[in-house]
Amino acid sequence: MPTLTIDNRRIEVPEGTKVIEAAEALGIMIPRFCYHRALGSVGACRVCAVKIVDGTRKGVQMSCMLDVEEGMVVSTDDPEAVAMRRHVIEWLMLHHPHDCPVCDEGGHCLLQDMTVSGGHGLRRYLGNKRTHLDQYLGPRIQHEMNRCIQCYRCVRYYREFSGYRDLGVTGIGNRVYFGREREGTLENPFSGNLIDICPTGVFTDKPARYFGRRWDLQRGPSVCIHCSLGCSVTVGARYREVARVEARYAKAVNGHFICDRGRWGFPYTNEASRPRAARVDGEATTVGEACAAARNRLLHVAETAGSEAVACLGSERAGLETLKAVAGICRANGWADPLFWLERRARENVAAAVSLLGDDLVLSLRELEAADCVLVFGADPLGEAPMAALALRQARRQGAPVFVFDPRPVELPLDFHHVPLAIEDLPECIRSLVGAAGDRETARGADPTVRSFTDQLAEPSVPPPPEAVAALRTSRRPAVVCGTDVTDAAAIGLAADFAALMKAQGRRAGLFYLMPGANGFGAALAGTEAASLEELLPRIEGGEIRALVAVEADPLGLYPDRGRIEAAMRKLDLLVVLDYLDTDSAAAADVFLPSTTVFETGGTWINQEGRIQIVRGAHRGGIPVSQTGGGGHPPRVFMEEVPGGQAAASGQTLTRLSPAEVKGASEWVRLPPDTDKQSGTRAVLPDPSALRFAPERTALSGAAGDEAMLTVIAVDRTFGTEVLSSRSPWLSAEETAPTVWMHPEEAGRVPLSDGDLLEIDAGGGSLVLPVKIVENMARRTLVIPRHRDAAWQRLGATRLRIERDCIRKAQPVGENAPVKESPPR
Amino acid sequence: MNPDERHYRKLKPVPPQRFRTISEIGEALNALGQGFVTTFRHLFRKPITEEYPEYKRTLPERSRARIVLTRDPDGNERCVACYLCSAACPVSCISMQSAEDDNGRRYARWFRINFGRCIYCGLCEEACPTSAIQLTPQFEHVKREILSMVYEKEDLLVDHSGKDKTYNFYRWAGIRTGDRDKGEHEREDKPVNVRSNMP
Ligand code: SF4
Ligand code: SF4
Ligand code: SF4
Ligand code: SF4
Ligand code: FES
Repeated sequence: MPTLTIDNRRIEVPEGTKVIEAAEALGIMIPRFCYHRALGSVGACRVCAVKIVDGTRKGVQMSCMLDVEEGMVVSTDDPEAVAMRRHVIEWLMLHHPHDCPVCDEGGHCLLQDMTVSGGHGLRRYLGNKRTHLDQYLGPRIQHEMNRCIQCYRCVRYYREFSGYRDLGVTGIGNRVYFGREREGTLENPFSGNLIDICPTGVFTDKPARYFGRRWDLQRGPSVCIHCSLGCSVTVGARYREVARVEARYAKAVNGHFICDRGRWGFPYTNEASRPRAARVDGEATTVGEACAAARNRLLHVAETAGSEAVACLGSERAGLETLKAVAGICRANGWADPLFWLERRARENVAAAVSLLGDDLVLSLRELEAADCVLVFGADPLGEAPMAALALRQARRQGAPVFVFDPRPVELPLDFHHVPLAIEDLPECIRSLVGAAGDRETARGADPTVRSFTDQLAEPSVPPPPEAVAALRTSRRPAVVCGTDVTDAAAIGLAADFAALMKAQGRRAGLFYLMPGANGFGAALAGTEAASLEELLPRIEGGEIRALVAVEADPLGLYPDRGRIEAAMRKLDLLVVLDYLDTDSAAAADVFLPSTTVFETGGTWINQEGRIQIVRGAHRGGIPVSQTGGGGHPPRVFMEEVPGGQAAASGQTLTRLSPAEVKGASEWVRLPPDTDKQSGTRAVLPDPSALRFAPERTALSGAAGDEAMLTVIAVDRTFGTEVLSSRSPWLSAEETAPTVWMHPEEAGRVPLSDGDLLEIDAGGGSLVLPVKIVENMARRTLVIPRHRDAAWQRLGATRLRIERDCIRKAQPVGENAPVKESPPR
Repeated sequence: MNPDERHYRKLKPVPPQRFRTISEIGEALNALGQGFVTTFRHLFRKPITEEYPEYKRTLPERSRARIVLTRDPDGNERCVACYLCSAACPVSCISMQSAEDDNGRRYARWFRINFGRCIYCGLCEEACPTSAIQLTPQFEHVKREILSMVYEKEDLLVDHSGKDKTYNFYRWAGIRTGDRDKGEHEREDKPVNVRSNMP
């Protein structure tokens, strides 16, 4: 570890550190444009000049390109270095347009900061400036090439870091141009990071164009709740409107970047249709009266039909406070067990994953990047948790082979091996890998449970892919990634067994689950006794349950059997809904109470690795000034009450409407005192070893291979399926349209060609969808993205098996068009 | 002794004085009489004050009073809603919302100055990069109704260029608007042809 002196201060840093990083560790920020911690150095901008007073290379040097040496003496404020930096900035400014007042970067622009701090206050060059034509890059990013300073950050991020090819650099000399070959929307689902990474205003946030300066925004740290990873973001709001979401650095989670779903998924909070007022029987009223009405009616139901006749349903998108309030209100009033899930499979899967994830195996997103071999089972990272795809790419860039075992046509921005197998074959596939991956002898010696597990392992009916076996043999840091959306408890358990087995072999193996919703983990922890709506439905249908309180949950819109849930909801005497979205359930509610979003009240979310992240609201909320003022100036008279400001956090409202007192509402979430404020803290997970290597997982299920049956899975996509972000108008063009994916062989059996309509008779009715034929998916499988217009709610379940004769080609007639049903009542 | 100290000494309590001689009493009466004489003499002089509001003097152009939003020499709104004036204002009495018009020009959708709070310091004018916001010598705008001191954009916008008769931001800005494309602004070359490698 070399020790060097920077500005008369000594510091010891690891070998290979650049001088610019060593200075940063001392708190000395050397100016930089092209250097970025995530992208490394290229030495393109020359603004990081320092003077090396003593060392092998003396004189003015680029601090981002220079490795530290023992005994090096660096001066950042040497007159020569200062003059060099000032000149570099002046050169960079030669052609910079005179448009800061109309540039959205102004106020948080690195170039502005450097120009001012570098002392270049007056333009000396009075000649002509070179100009560039701009390109249309889609609805989310505004391009203004005149402002470019040729730091190359954008293309390095876009092509090297995130792995997409449609943005590049052309031209020579002074005319270097950063853009696309042709105008058009950027294909990269992580393209929004260009906005954060470009040090000038070339790429700016188009939806927030001209909304306001950063110094005027109410900004606050928050977490993204559009998938289970819980990336850190910074929210900027103004005039009661959330205007921007930016990436916030989180060492252990997302690093410097976020995906576009997280960046532009927020419009649900500003929607004009967002229900802001309480309603009783369709009539608007105050929150206090609606609470009283709900309480009285709930009491009435409990008195007439027994307290067990009331049920309360939360969801995986709600914060932990809300979920705990759901559990608390059920306990305090003696209601039926709290529900957090719509489907039993989801509940079981997440419960299995949470119980099997131990401190010994759990990986953070950052640690996943460091794996040297990644096996992905039953997960589509880009669809279910986009930033996981970017983490896999970083692992791949460092040489890790990536294997994806999934029935879907998985796409990733990296080269990987896709094994498209039927989802029922997944446990068998993992079993075969467990058997083949390592040397059984060491595993046998390790532990009696491990030994008996490997001994009992049935002889695999399918041989494992030889490349995967070869890669695993030499891997020191293998990572197992497993989805919980389309898989089953067997695969989830085997994934943990597999990782644990490799750990037992003395490797640094890790386990990374993807989960549904932002707080699936929290939902699994909040109530271990919790059931799912699917399990409760018979009791609603039988008239046993007479009232339902749905808290930030939308059973009508999201339960996978629309017909059945509608009938069940009609049987209820009372439906109370607390939400901030205008869902179908909210429309059907007898008593509706508005609640607040994460941007207003914050909350606690637990991500899929068990990381507890507490956030506060960024603003107070209420109807945006742009809506109350009709676009013109805000009203000239001021009232004490904020328009639309009646909404309160669901947890609070629940305690308010509960007939019995719910205790300790504020004491639910307690964090250890050493919590890392930046990245949250990982929950202390219970020891899962007793649950690992369960003997029942060694046997074959044998469900696959049945040629008469087809498996239908309704899946998550990057855009258009997640409940909150699918309301974003800026992402709608990138949504996966309602469709059903089929393997050419399966399509040929019907027969169907690309674009034909397919009618599917499933448990919950029939639906018609256009067919998309793709090669890279499993046979005997139909994949349907859960697009809101796909009527997937008629499938009956999000994963089901149907007879082959349940599908047929449909004629394109008007009434068969894939439309969503209107809400009942 | 530093000046502060001197000042401090001067403020020390002075011991009470008593008239000791007849001459001291005479001095006091004399001083009193002189004062009255001066005052009395002024009764017969021509007043040097100007009678406001009967007489209204022309104030220097740079006096700081009521604020206006001016137009560029082509008659277009100058303000680009850059938020610099509102950031500079020490009492935060300027608010606005910027937007983009059909011509691609950034402008203020609404713009409000609360003159009830303004201290007429002129920092907004100093911060303005487009010469849009200007203080005028027009100081007479006191109102009885406090709310009528809140001026909206239509109250602020005037149809002249104020003190700066020439500057037109959009002629220089380099961004594409309805009247000027890339390369058509002052001191600009034609846009680069990125498909050519010719120097
Ligand atoms: S567009 Fe931005 S990030 Fe890319 S080279 Fe130019 S200044 Fe750098
Ligand atoms: S990966 Fe998930 S948590 Fe991260 S920004 Fe995207 S949607 Fe949000
Ligand atoms: S004159 Fe001073 S107080 Fe008045 S608006 Fe301008 S900056 Fe604000
Ligand atoms: S500083 Fe000038 S251009 Fe900017 S908002 Fe104020 S008046 Fe408009
Ligand atoms: S930061 Fe070192 S050359 Fe750009």
